[in-house]
Amino acid sequence: MIGLVGLNHKTAPLAVRERLFAGCREQENLLGGLKAIDGVLEILHLSTCNRVELVASLEDAPRALDELESFLARYGGLTDEEAKTCLYTYRDREAIRHLFRVTSSLDSLVMGEAQILGQVKDAYRQALAQNATGVVLNRLLHRAFRAAKRVRTETGIAANPVSVSFAAVELAKKIFGTLAGRKILIIGAGEMAELTCTHLVGNGAEDITVVNRSPAQARLLAEKFHGAARGLGELDEVLCDVDIVISSTGAPTYVVTGEMVRRCLRKRKNRLLFLVDIAVPRDIDPAADDVENVYLYNIDHLQNIVDENIKNRRREALKAEAIIEEEAANYVSWLKELEAVPTIVSLRSKAENIVRAEMEKASVWMQSLENADREKVEALVHGIVNKVLHAPVAVMKEESAEFASQDIVAAARQLFRLDD
Amino acid sequence: MEGILFAAALFCCALATAGYLLSLLVRRVALAKISTWILAAGFMLLTLDLLVAAVHWTGWSSFGSRHFLSIYAWVIAGIYLGLQLKTKTRLLGAFIAPFILLFLIAAAGQGSDRNLVPSQWQGGLTTLHLVLAIAGEALFVLASAAGAMLLIQNNLLKNKKPGPLGRLLPSLGDLDQINHFGLLWGFPLLTLGMIGGAVYAAFVWGGSWPADPKVVWSFAVWVFYGFLLHQRLAIGWKGSRMAVLSCLGLSFFLLSALGIRFCLATVHNFI
Repeated sequence: MIGLVGLNHKTAPLAVRERLFAGCREQENLLGGLKAIDGVLEILHLSTCNRVELVASLEDAPRALDELESFLARYGGLTDEEAKTCLYTYRDREAIRHLFRVTSSLDSLVMGEAQILGQVKDAYRQALAQNATGVVLNRLLHRAFRAAKRVRTETGIAANPVSVSFAAVELAKKIFGTLAGRKILIIGAGEMAELTCTHLVGNGAEDITVVNRSPAQARLLAEKFHGAARGLGELDEVLCDVDIVISSTGAPTYVVTGEMVRRCLRKRKNRLLFLVDIAVPRDIDPAADDVENVYLYNIDHLQNIVDENIKNRRREALKAEAIIEEEAANYVSWLKELEAVPTIVSLRSKAENIVRAEMEKASVWMQSLENADREKVEALVHGIVNKVLHAPVAVMKEESAEFASQDIVAAARQLFRLDD
Repeated sequence: MEGILFAAALFCCALATAGYLLSLLVRRVALAKISTWILAAGFMLLTLDLLVAAVHWTGWSSFGSRHFLSIYAWVIAGIYLGLQLKTKTRLLGAFIAPFILLFLIAAAGQGSDRNLVPSQWQGGLTTLHLVLAIAGEALFVLASAAGAMLLIQNNLLKNKKPGPLGRLLPSLGDLDQINHFGLLWGFPLLTLGMIGGAVYAAFVWGGSWPADPKVVWSFAVWVFYGFLLHQRLAIGWKGSRMAVLSCLGLSFFLLSALGIRFCLATVHNFI
């Protein structure tokens, strides 16, 4: 069976996650230690800032799952109370569905983020390198990646940005097309402005100018982006030259007035200008938005877009859940069949052994038979054995598809004394 | 053979138009991409149709108004498809394809043997005049279609509601560039075409030209687009203002091309 033990950002506070993350990282040959636990056949260890999870293929499930739980509690230094509230355990279909949801980023703090898929792939690569996985987990992980890919391509879960800074980048792309070579002006030195600028640079923008009341701070930020620092007095001039302005000063009045924007638009021959005002109180006069070819977005506008996108992602998540359900069902039916396969194989080989032994015993009197007759007798014996085995094998296969083969398989092993 | 090729091109174009419009409706770019391929197939078929007509060229009498209207559609489709190699503006097709379809339907209504160029006017300069004017006007259609999309996108962005439609439509920058491209190349082509026509007319009619409505309207369109290009290049008009004026220009053009053709008496009644 498949089992999953772990904790995540929903069940455990940051302090607990940190402890467990550090505890697991310090442990040398973590996977080796986990695999040595009695009943653990295959194991995968996933550790990110938001979750630590162990996925395993198990024999003697309840005991092995308990062992895994106490393993995590030990390495995270969890108290009994913490272990009880923070750790969750899933089995079989639940565990499969959970892993698929995690990989598809449905369980992430920011639903639809792309990072988690890479993190699961890394965890899988590590497990592969240490021979910690086998046929069951290999297929499980491949199916999880497939589910994640389907969710990404068939739903709009990752389509729209859900952070203010990314929303600003998306808008810039909708205004300018490509951001390559665009010039950015940062007014003030807010963290959000810096983050937005980083994203813009990541998308090809270059040539950063920083304007700040304090020249030292302006230089500091400008150096980060290999840009230029200018004084507040030069704002008028700089405004004529740039494409995107991100403003986040603590100034009580407007730093950029409508008249300034109107003037500079004439000078820049109406080239498009994107103004992002993330300061409260606002830095840019709303009248600037009335100027043709100027697009002014303040923090509320951006937040509204983000809220709309989050709502949209939630709607898309419903579609994603259906995909996960379908993929999980596919995997489960494969797994179930796998449960019956070893029994079917040993049943067949036991029957073959019996036939071989009996034929050997009979070989003395069969010597008197003609070759052709001997072959007929052998064919007859094989035919009878196959007919007798056909029904139990068929029933085991049928039941396994329905996820109910456990009892039948156990009965078959007992009836045919396969474990002796 | 010609009839079949033309009908197949018309069918492809109708299908592509439906696909483009549907892609706007359901907001899926994938549909617009498929439609672009269908339109490309239609373009190839139309090219073949025109090639067959050229191969069977037995003088002007073999070239009917169906072919002239087809050339309009062919140039617009060709420029649009060429642009698709450079920019990712598939959705522009939703605005361009209906025009192509309109011209093809108008062409289908004409026999390939009707409304021929009067025999006394057939010659090299007439061909030059026609081809250049048609190419120039087709580029104006493109500029205006991009302008119409720009207006929608501008409206969404100004109202702070980019939403799914805004994400689907191309960026303001790309659309403005297409508008610029259409004006920049359309105007000189139309100018050369009109000069060709004027020079020829001077030979045929001498000093006094008939006050042909098509000539008058085309001149008005030419002046209007000249004004737009001037404002764009010299004054720096851009974005929504250019878009509105381009759309107005297109209305002028449509009146000139279709209205006069079907409603008024004109010496240009062969296209």
